[in-house]
Amino acid sequence: MSDRASYELISVADVLLPIDPPQPRPAPRAAPVLAPRRLPAWGILFGPLVLVLVWEAASQTGLLSPRLLAAPSTAVTSGFAMLQAGTLQEHFLASAQRAWLGLGIGVAIGLVLALASGLTRLGEASIDGVVQVKRAIPTLALIPLAILWLGIGEVMKIALIATSVLVPVYINTHAALRGIDLRFVELARSVGLGRAEFLRRVALPGALPGFFTGLRLAVTACWTALVVLEQINTTEGIGYLMNRARDYGQTDVIVVGLAVYAVLGLASDMAVRALERRALSWRKALGA
Amino acid sequence: MSPAVRIEALTRAFAGRVVLDGIDLAIQPGEFVALIGRSGCGKSTLLRAIAGLDDGVAGGGTVEAPRSKAILFQDSRLLPWERVLSNVTLGLAAADAEPRARRVLAAVGLEGREDAWPGTLSGGEQQRVALARALVREPALLLADEPFGALDALTRLRMHALLAALVARHRPTVLLVTHDVDEALTLADRILVMDQGRITRDLPIALPPPRRRSDAGFDALRGLLLNALGVPEHA
Repeated sequence: MSDRASYELISVADVLLPIDPPQPRPAPRAAPVLAPRRLPAWGILFGPLVLVLVWEAASQTGLLSPRLLAAPSTAVTSGFAMLQAGTLQEHFLASAQRAWLGLGIGVAIGLVLALASGLTRLGEASIDGVVQVKRAIPTLALIPLAILWLGIGEVMKIALIATSVLVPVYINTHAALRGIDLRFVELARSVGLGRAEFLRRVALPGALPGFFTGLRLAVTACWTALVVLEQINTTEGIGYLMNRARDYGQTDVIVVGLAVYAVLGLASDMAVRALERRALSWRKALGA
Repeated sequence: MSPAVRIEALTRAFAGRVVLDGIDLAIQPGEFVALIGRSGCGKSTLLRAIAGLDDGVAGGGTVEAPRSKAILFQDSRLLPWERVLSNVTLGLAAADAEPRARRVLAAVGLEGREDAWPGTLSGGEQQRVALARALVREPALLLADEPFGALDALTRLRMHALLAALVARHRPTVLLVTHDVDEALTLADRILVMDQGRITRDLPIALPPPRRRSDAGFDALRGLLLNALGVPEHA
């Protein structure tokens, strides 16, 4: 019976919709370009490519002395030779291990602290202030103390990378947990969610975008710390390779080292992005 | 028969401003009540008091309402990171929650969209998911706070018909807060008009279904209600 009523209501509405007769479209005129059109995916490579070409040309013509900066082609040849000799892989692995170990430990600690502080009052009272103080101190200023406490070995380096990484993870995850939409809290109450289920289905998924923002900043922080720390008492790693090259004036090896740092940084960022896309697939559906 | 909702001498105030000024109200089981009034008249505050979502707000009086109630908000309030089906079963402990949710989703015309993300649905579809989330609980009391206010006019008409059909089948007690006189007249058995924190009119609506806006009885009631709301009609 009531279904009948619905059809009546809808048919009234349909009658009210006039159908426009087809109009001839005006001939297309060249529209003024108000905003630049979108760049194709490879378009971003144009700038770096031009830079490398200019650099190479400057080196070939003798404008740029190899004592100051090696030509890209020389760096490629040197890098290839180091790959064949196996030294590059060795140093690369040493650096990557250092960085990823520090990153993993730092992210885990930052996440645990953020959860403790974002979800409990006692946690917030005890943790938040301490992390804010840590945030105000640059990690590199902690190097002297860290050396006194942990020595000049790997432990000190990984500990300092972890320390610099946990701050952005903590700050962003904590902020996201605190900023949960109150409308969702109200909804959770109205459908009778318990505390555990509220955490699992509302609070944590809601904080996930914040966590990923923190993670991407953490990756950047991790490489910055690595570069500095590898200048201290290392016998392997990209930083050691570059330091030694400076002593011998091998600018080509320095360029290879910079390229490896760039590759590590880009690869890590891409890995985080891929992870983020999977974890936040509900956002992709929105085209965001 | 004892009333489904009983309210006595209910008062609420925000920062010293009285929003509910001594409300007495009884709603019978299965009754469909629409609460209309200008914005700021206290109608949403009354609904939230019945829903039990206003702790911390100053006030007194008693509210008796069934424990089994569901709320339909103006925004669909779907969790964007949960698919449609999990949104509907949110907080539902029953063992057969999932088949029940599928049935209710089919009843609101969303069969086949169970695995969609809420963000990919239109506004009307999202509000139908919210309706399914409310109905799957088989509530004794359905509280709706301007649930169709954000929808376009055509979608709103469809939602009225859908809500009328579902309520006719499940017979919950309904309190619908709206500022749309036609919506109230289309759906309700009884219309309350609120003004400045008090219920100023309490009108039983005995129009036979199907209710058409062009009927003389409908038109007369509309004039009466608009007058009560302080909007004189110039037809």
